[in-house]
Amino acid sequence: MPKIGVYICHCGENIAGAVNIEEVKKFVEKLPDVVVVRDYLFMCSDPGQEIIKEDIRKGLVDRVVVAACTPRTHEPIFRKACEDAGLNKYYFEMANIRDQCSWAHWHEKEKATQKAKQLIAAAVAKARLLEPLEDRYVELNKNVMVVGGGIAGIFAALDLANAGFKVYLVEKSPSIGGNMAKLDKTFPTNDCSACILTPLMVEVANHPNVELLTYSEVEAVEGTVGNFRVKVRKKQTYVDWEKCTGCGACVNVCPPKARVPDEFNEGLSLRGAIYIQFPQAVPKKAVIDPDACISCSGRWFGEEPRRTKDGKPILAPCEKVCPTGACSRDEPRDPNGEIIELNVGSIIVATGYRVMDKKYFKEFAPDSPNVITALQMERLISATGPTEGKLIVPSDIPKYLDWKKKVEKGKEAKLEARKPHVITFVSCVGSRDERYHTYCSKVCCMYMLKQAMLLKEKYPDLDIYIFFIDVRTPGKDFDEYYMRCRKLGIKIIKGKVGGVQRLPDERLLVRGYDADLGKPVELISDIVVLATAIEPNTDLKDLARKLGINVGAEGFLRERHTKLYPVDTMTEGIFICGCAQGPKDIPDSVAQAKAAASSAMSLLAPGKMRVEPLISEVNPEKCTGCGICAPLCPYGAIEYVEVDGKRRAKVNEAKCKGCGVCAAACPSKAITLHGFTYEQVLAQIKTIARKGIIEEV
Amino acid sequence: MEITEGVPPVINLTEVAEREKEEFEKKVSELIIEFGAENLLACMQCGACASICPLARVGFEWYNKKLIKAILIGMKEELLDDPTPWACVACNRCTEICPRQVAPFEVMFAMRRLMVEEFAIPTLAIEGLRSLYEHGHAVYMTGREARKKVGLPEKPPTTDSDEKALQDLRTILKNTKLAELGLIPME
Repeated sequence: MPKIGVYICHCGENIAGAVNIEEVKKFVEKLPDVVVVRDYLFMCSDPGQEIIKEDIRKGLVDRVVVAACTPRTHEPIFRKACEDAGLNKYYFEMANIRDQCSWAHWHEKEKATQKAKQLIAAAVAKARLLEPLEDRYVELNKNVMVVGGGIAGIFAALDLANAGFKVYLVEKSPSIGGNMAKLDKTFPTNDCSACILTPLMVEVANHPNVELLTYSEVEAVEGTVGNFRVKVRKKQTYVDWEKCTGCGACVNVCPPKARVPDEFNEGLSLRGAIYIQFPQAVPKKAVIDPDACISCSGRWFGEEPRRTKDGKPILAPCEKVCPTGACSRDEPRDPNGEIIELNVGSIIVATGYRVMDKKYFKEFAPDSPNVITALQMERLISATGPTEGKLIVPSDIPKYLDWKKKVEKGKEAKLEARKPHVITFVSCVGSRDERYHTYCSKVCCMYMLKQAMLLKEKYPDLDIYIFFIDVRTPGKDFDEYYMRCRKLGIKIIKGKVGGVQRLPDERLLVRGYDADLGKPVELISDIVVLATAIEPNTDLKDLARKLGINVGAEGFLRERHTKLYPVDTMTEGIFICGCAQGPKDIPDSVAQAKAAASSAMSLLAPGKMRVEPLISEVNPEKCTGCGICAPLCPYGAIEYVEVDGKRRAKVNEAKCKGCGVCAAACPSKAITLHGFTYEQVLAQIKTIARKGIIEEV
Repeated sequence: MEITEGVPPVINLTEVAEREKEEFEKKVSELIIEFGAENLLACMQCGACASICPLARVGFEWYNKKLIKAILIGMKEELLDDPTPWACVACNRCTEICPRQVAPFEVMFAMRRLMVEEFAIPTLAIEGLRSLYEHGHAVYMTGREARKKVGLPEKPPTTDSDEKALQDLRTILKNTKLAELGLIPME
């Protein structure tokens, strides 16, 4: 006969506030095979665990039921306590009387108490049927794939590589660097973004343990922790990267007709169909955008060239000018690129963010070129931006580019671009807004202050207005930064702008409200900067599906536990960091990246991993080889083997994750999911159905 | 609610800023800083000063917090005709409570100095100055008959009834900027 000990946790007031513990105890004492019932304020605390251990050591109990919170966070803790006291840890069962009981029925104390009784009785009913199990071990592949080559991905890759792990750094753009490469300076120290980022880009690219896979995307992921098999699609560059030296000669000759908005300059200028992402790109290689290329020489890759009258082949300008032959169109190119297969033990997702486009905000005159997003402002003031950091109104950028072209050709030209006198910032555009995103994008207050500060320090005569709902500066040295801005005479107005109107002279009429003066205000501004929300990348959901990890309602990747497992996911071996997990600034992204790298290291460093034995097993004597289970298995863990000349299902222990789909589907009950056997689960269900009365076996 | 004279229902920030640049020699905030409110720009408009300001409580328009905000965005003309700074009782509670050490009380008094400089002084204040010069009291009581009735001397036992003290006070006042301004007759 089993000797079951039931331990009821108060969880402070969380459980005891709704569940009558004394009443539950009296009920539980009478349940079959229950020999000990105890309660404690916090069962998971050291003294709480000691109560359980003491009973095991004294031989009072040989099965343990803890009625407390969620097994998701606390089951491992109590299993460990049982093991430490000398009991097989699978002689443990947990009843969750908090999340789905006391919390859910907080104002119905009697019902909560009744439900707690039933849940505990069900757990006792299962505990009577528990069997001892032994842990198993799987070998771990020590390679890691980092997806995303922004500041978070770079740091995660560097930390792992420095610790001796092989890292595949996968980036979808031609260059690593991410959004940080677009920034001019960074708060709260106003470090030049390129100066602190580009050395890291070089370091990670040259690291002997890092294999850089840029212009590549994750195609498919199979396998589980320690043994992921990943297919990465290396997109077609149409330029031979072995030969390309990044000289940029091709970029300059691409004809005007093939020019499209430059992603790196956030659309403020144009780039050719053949382009290098930005001057400091790593790797510095050209790619051809097949959608933009107009095949100006009249042939596509692999086609016969057209010929002049005297029979000479007509080459595309990029082809002609390339000193190394990297742009040659002689060979055909597969538009699908190539598939590279990787075997890795762990995956870190650091795919970053994008900012919302201004087009959604009709109230802010998005059709005006002088209404720009903050990231566009970043490009406008950056020395690597469309105007080399020269501050002009965006509507005059084409004039600037024409002027520059003339000057470069040695012609005399006068620049007639208008300089702004008034710049207005609008906060919370698309953030904290039920129509778009309910969350706070977290970095906008600080980057608006930063841009305002940089502008005001460089051009003291500028009139700068920042319209805020709240100024949120909760970070180290952040509020001091805010004070610096105020002392520079930047005009901070509490109240969000409600409308922007485009004027015929391309200036903008801004309508706001000054909550401090209690009056509507209006002003004419040369540039309006919208602090548009930080959003998850469009393909993040798709990637999450491939990886089998969760996204939250707002579209960012969901961590396993907000506080305790902030970089873990519900899929073991996959970690997340940076803005893919939620809006955050550079210091937080770097901290998370290092946390993710460290989590991957502590997982992989031992080389093997203990796995719970809660997996399926087929009884070949009952199995009829009907073939129902294998196609249902989400992990491809079931194969068919010959047993005594008959076809029988067999579970691959390394692949099985214990989801139980096969066991539920098997018509002959030939499959047992250990820890959740047919008998155990049925006993639980029956007990709950009979309002806590356990059926005698 | 009546619409406050001098401040339009919608504040045109462009006009305010252009006027500040074109018509005034210095920014309003610079003047106020020069007149003694050194830490003006540190104000973050938290409103602690207004929560305890007697002026705000009795309904004056430009109490400390609002006055500071108006100065920060460059308003001046709109503020000059307003009597609020002259009603400040100098209780100094705002200065004690301010988390940014702005000393709103100093802003109030700097505003008075600016108003004097601009000859934008309400009758109320001029009457006070005249009374100070004549009797030694900025606020002078008129109820002389009442004093007599209860058996008190007609004039209180202060500068008012002490000719020498009064002459000394007048000499002092004549040596201040008040004499230069010529706001009140000083023979």
